[in-house]
Amino acid sequence: MSGIGPLEPGEGTRAWDGRRPEDTRPPGRTRAALTAWYARHRRVTIALAAAAVALAGGGYLYATRPHRPPPREDRAHAQVPYPAQVVDMTYLDGRTTPAGAPPRSFSFAVLLSVTSGPPVTVTRVTQPYAGLSLNSEPPVPFRTRSGSARKVTITMHVTECEKAPKNAGLPFLDVTLRNTRAIQVQSYILGPRYAQDLSHALQVACSNKVR
Amino acid sequence: MRQRSLIAITAALAAGALTLTACGSRDSGDKGSDSDNGGSTVVIGVDAPLTGDLSAMGLGIKNSADLAVRNANKQKLVKGVTFKIEALDDQKQPSQGQQNATKLVADSNVLGVVGPLNSSVAESMQKVFDDAKLVEVSPANTGPALTQGANWQTKKVRPYKSYFRTATTDAIQGPFAAQYVFNTAKKKKVFVIDDKKTYGAGLAGTFTEEFKKLGGKVVGTEHINPDTTDFSAVATKVKNSGADVVYYGGEYPQAGPLSKQIKAAGAKIPLVGGDGINDATYGKLAGPEATGDLATSVGAPVESLPSAKQFVSDYKAAGYKDEFSAYGGYSYDSAWAIIEAVKKVVEDNGGKLPSDARAKVTAAMQNVSFDGVTGKVSFDEFGDATNKQLTVYAVKNGAFTAVKSGTFTG
Repeated sequence: MSGIGPLEPGEGTRAWDGRRPEDTRPPGRTRAALTAWYARHRRVTIALAAAAVALAGGGYLYATRPHRPPPREDRAHAQVPYPAQVVDMTYLDGRTTPAGAPPRSFSFAVLLSVTSGPPVTVTRVTQPYAGLSLNSEPPVPFRTRSGSARKVTITMHVTECEKAPKNAGLPFLDVTLRNTRAIQVQSYILGPRYAQDLSHALQVACSNKVR
Repeated sequence: MRQRSLIAITAALAAGALTLTACGSRDSGDKGSDSDNGGSTVVIGVDAPLTGDLSAMGLGIKNSADLAVRNANKQKLVKGVTFKIEALDDQKQPSQGQQNATKLVADSNVLGVVGPLNSSVAESMQKVFDDAKLVEVSPANTGPALTQGANWQTKKVRPYKSYFRTATTDAIQGPFAAQYVFNTAKKKKVFVIDDKKTYGAGLAGTFTEEFKKLGGKVVGTEHINPDTTDFSAVATKVKNSGADVVYYGGEYPQAGPLSKQIKAAGAKIPLVGGDGINDATYGKLAGPEATGDLATSVGAPVESLPSAKQFVSDYKAAGYKDEFSAYGGYSYDSAWAIIEAVKKVVEDNGGKLPSDARAKVTAAMQNVSFDGVTGKVSFDEFGDATNKQLTVYAVKNGAFTAVKSGTFTG
């Protein structure tokens, strides 16, 4: 912080358009008394004037110091956390595949929770592997409020067994999250239990016995 | 007379302005710790490479721990306790690290240690600290065996109760990199190089295993000597292998020249590494052709963490000469974890440090939990950070830029 205020005059401090004409009135009694007092106490007067100017200048500098808070909208925006920082997603377990799902499909559930901030909307759920596609229940987009959790059922469909990862160590889901702060794509690495269940489901789905 | 009046007024104004400026300035010149309050002094040791080619990261670790100590003292976070740091240079050498550990153990005022940077150095320090029940919190070690034992892939066993870390491990970092390289970058043939050290070889191992599981092919492997910077022979091998990507397990002083020499050999393919190459120096060493090279790193990008913004601003205000680098936030959180543990021990002992403070601080660390620079800071049963975030960075205009983030929730 520099302590130096803006060069432009602030509100209410705008300079007069021109110099005021010299006062042509004859000096009255008060003015004569003041002139006489000034003649006697010139140094005191100057010191008092200087102090007054210093106070006024200091007050102006303080009032216009540069660390003014940002406009309210910006401040509110800065306080809203990024969605990826407030969303947790954990693997629950395998689920019954919905009736009507195509062959070579399997389902599992995850728990999505929002810990703080405004509601978060999931706009997309994908997985990165070739040979697999997925959909979710509830279908995207869906919104979750702060302090609440939502069970999401993911149903995966194997489109090409040769390209599906049958033994991935740390598979993840890519989830697109949106709140009033930002839209982010976050990878949720659901851990070894999910990896085992996924591998097992893929092996079953891609075995010769197609359900 | 008018001139004199003007001078007086100008002087008064200047005095007023200077006074206000002084009121508003930050106390960036406040070096060192205040120990004049008549209470106890608790020393937090710091061990990192403060000289040599990894000093950019090491000094970032030291300064960030120092910043935590300053803030704790400023806030008078632990009544009657003034914190100070004692920073020792391990020169990235395990033997020096062990000597430093012995020295820190010998100082009874030391109740916790932040560091080290290198997993190989940590291996040499762990037992020394554990025997003395002196808690150690590393901001940067990613070798899985440090917390989960040598057989971590089959059976996790915590070897030392006094060792904790705020960084996540290569058990996650390597596979995360493999997933990105295979699925997103669509690279299928990798040439894997490492520096034969604990960190580099371990990370290259976890990457390779996952890359192969995903269906990728390893078309060549090589080890380099980290004491040299002439990698032309390896670069030629990479060129002749037909690889479409190189994975390097190691650190930026070697990774930068290696990337440059691979491209110069005619293989215009990206080099991918871990947190050890995620330093601003990499772009300078690797040159303009490094655009598109990748690095994974532990944690979320600083710009996405409001708590980290405060840290960045405080770090700048404190006037440190060196950047906080890849582990600054983790170092701050490591030091703060020690401070929180000391606070708990002091509060539980009627406001004073107990005679067996080291053992009590080590025990308290297991339950420490706070909102840190890098997010929620707490530790699992192995001493690993519960906050396991990772980010993939790509070189753009000579600097690493975040391209994808992940969270381990298993």
